[in-house]
Amino acid sequence: MRDARWLAVACLCGVALVWSTPLLWMVVAAFRPQNFGGLSMASLIPDFAPTLDNFAEALDSADFALLYLNTVIVAGGILVVQLVTITLAGYAFARLRFRGREVLFHLFLLQLMIAPPVLIVPNLVTITQLGLYDTLLAAMAPYFASAFGVFLMRQTLRTIPRDFEEAAAMEGANWLQIVTRVLVPLARPGMIAFSIVSIVAHWNEFLWPLMVISNPDNHTLTIGLATFTRGAESASQWGVIAAGTFLVAGPLLLAFALFQRQFVNSFLFSGVK
Amino acid sequence: MHRLRTIAAAGALALAFGGAAAAETKIELYFPVPVEGKLASEMRNLMERFNAEHPEIDVTAVYTGSYDETNIKTRAAIKAGRPPAAVIMSANFILEYQINGEIEPLDPLIEASGETPDAWMGRFWPALHGNARFADHVWAAPFHNSTPLVYYNKAHFAEAGLDPEDAPDTWQELVDAAKALTKRDGDRVTRYGFMLPGNYDYLGWIMTALAMSNGGLYYNPDFGGEVYYDQPSMLGALTFVEDLIEKHKVTPAGVTDGKAVSTAFFAGDASMVILSTGSLSFIRENMKEPYGVTFVPRNVRNAVAIGGASLMMPKGLTEEQKAASWTLMNWLTSPEISGHWSRFTGYFAPNREAYDLPEMKTFLAANPDAQVALDQLAYARSWFATFNTVAVRKALEDEVQAVMSDKIQPAEALKAAQAKADEIMAPYVAQTALKLPQ
Repeated sequence: MRDARWLAVACLCGVALVWSTPLLWMVVAAFRPQNFGGLSMASLIPDFAPTLDNFAEALDSADFALLYLNTVIVAGGILVVQLVTITLAGYAFARLRFRGREVLFHLFLLQLMIAPPVLIVPNLVTITQLGLYDTLLAAMAPYFASAFGVFLMRQTLRTIPRDFEEAAAMEGANWLQIVTRVLVPLARPGMIAFSIVSIVAHWNEFLWPLMVISNPDNHTLTIGLATFTRGAESASQWGVIAAGTFLVAGPLLLAFALFQRQFVNSFLFSGVK
Repeated sequence: MHRLRTIAAAGALALAFGGAAAAETKIELYFPVPVEGKLASEMRNLMERFNAEHPEIDVTAVYTGSYDETNIKTRAAIKAGRPPAAVIMSANFILEYQINGEIEPLDPLIEASGETPDAWMGRFWPALHGNARFADHVWAAPFHNSTPLVYYNKAHFAEAGLDPEDAPDTWQELVDAAKALTKRDGDRVTRYGFMLPGNYDYLGWIMTALAMSNGGLYYNPDFGGEVYYDQPSMLGALTFVEDLIEKHKVTPAGVTDGKAVSTAFFAGDASMVILSTGSLSFIRENMKEPYGVTFVPRNVRNAVAIGGASLMMPKGLTEEQKAASWTLMNWLTSPEISGHWSRFTGYFAPNREAYDLPEMKTFLAANPDAQVALDQLAYARSWFATFNTVAVRKALEDEVQAVMSDKIQPAEALKAAQAKADEIMAPYVAQTALKLPQ
């Protein structure tokens, strides 16, 4: 029994090491002097003379304060609207009875099958017609409804016994009160799980913001990072790339470290993997 | 939600007033960053200078990702009715915009400025004309261009008993040198004699150079519905690549990214590499050991395809925007700016007159490697451009990658690549070469 436990721990450590290698390398390389050490550049073992030069160069290459602000507005704005829409839609699919509910729900799920790049041109045309081209709102708008979120909220709400709602209804609560006072608090783990997925996805998103945003003042972190790290015809300055990536991923990593327990709990509860 | 609406309304108002209040013409220039980050800030500097010199125009330089992403964004913006005034577009994508009718011919603007198209095109190197002027019109202004070059480590040459001043001229000499340069520790290779980039876009361009050096054409420069993948010139080129990996064992198997190739060169893990002239400044700044550059070696003849990007003007602009865009295009391709950008990046200057300027002469005297890149232009040809260029290119690249990973033999690979490419171009061919009198 004891041996099996040790074996499991050893296996998990091995897997964790494989998964964390890119992150470890990013941290090591970000602090490594810029010297094109060739193979030693790929080493995971830190140098003895850590340097902040890479960060200085990365910070100098883009207006990070603005990029952070824009990214927070975009990822946060999307999430706030999504939480409202997916809770209401999830409630409708979980609790309300109406004709065509199942068909509509399956149509919703079908959306998950569509690869987002296919929608670039139609979405861009819509955004332009709405007069939103080249605004932060345009980077957010297509994501205000989320098929995945609706599905997740429907499943979460269905696990909540109806007794709570019936008790609230007996007290004279209307449906909106039932949703906001009774169901939302109980569905919190599902909402947190969805929030993580949503924030990570939109924090890291590149193609759609690149398509819809032109003004450098509206750029998000991923585009800002790309402006100084992506080059097709040259070697890369790995140190600066690592430092820039560190700056972009840092807030998410920090958030994960701080709220780790809560994250893990919500994923366990909601069954998202 | 309410707040968002307010923001949107405020944004719309700001846009409306911004447009009305400014007497200057506001235009956008889309630019990819093909080489390195410093270029993005240098491009912004250039635009500030342009705006200062032209008070009637206000250009915003908009970063648009890689060449492929710039293509997607430009196409999407055109379809959405918000075309940029000018785009720095991969030179071989221009043909598709012409086929789709999404691009302004430049001849009327050239004639309005009192020049003939012949005279205007005359300022650019002849090798660049094919991708800019076709189907009876001028469609683009070459902005920064490149050819593939072989970079070699002179210290390694001396160490292996080769003459550092006598670089390989032929495929045979390349293989002989690569064998002498490769270092082995038992079965393990510790230093490769030769490396080439295998990532998308780069690989297609390198295969073009090898097929052309082998006497091939790669594609039909006069008709966008034909490529010559399943031909002896390409078979020889691909078998040559396979031999370097499997027979001579002087090149690593599998797909090596262009960036990894240059990193290996800096680190001394590769003695010879084939890379773009666009990397020249970057390599000059970062390579510690002495290095040399030379033409892409020949098997049948010296020939390479140009690379790089041209300025194009999408349709759907107002007359003011067109005029402003035209001013910008001429400014960016002027001898002074062309030369400045060339020295900054390593790309050669498309405008020949740039090389008559004293600062360019001083620069070339101090940097003979840049002169080699320029000399190779005498053997340069147009870059592969067809209907649906990217997909047709990938049809070949996927198969070449499979060969480099030893999953398939060259002959079968080329048959598959040809079939796939023909299928992709079939709709265009049906509308053109196979559209016959009824």
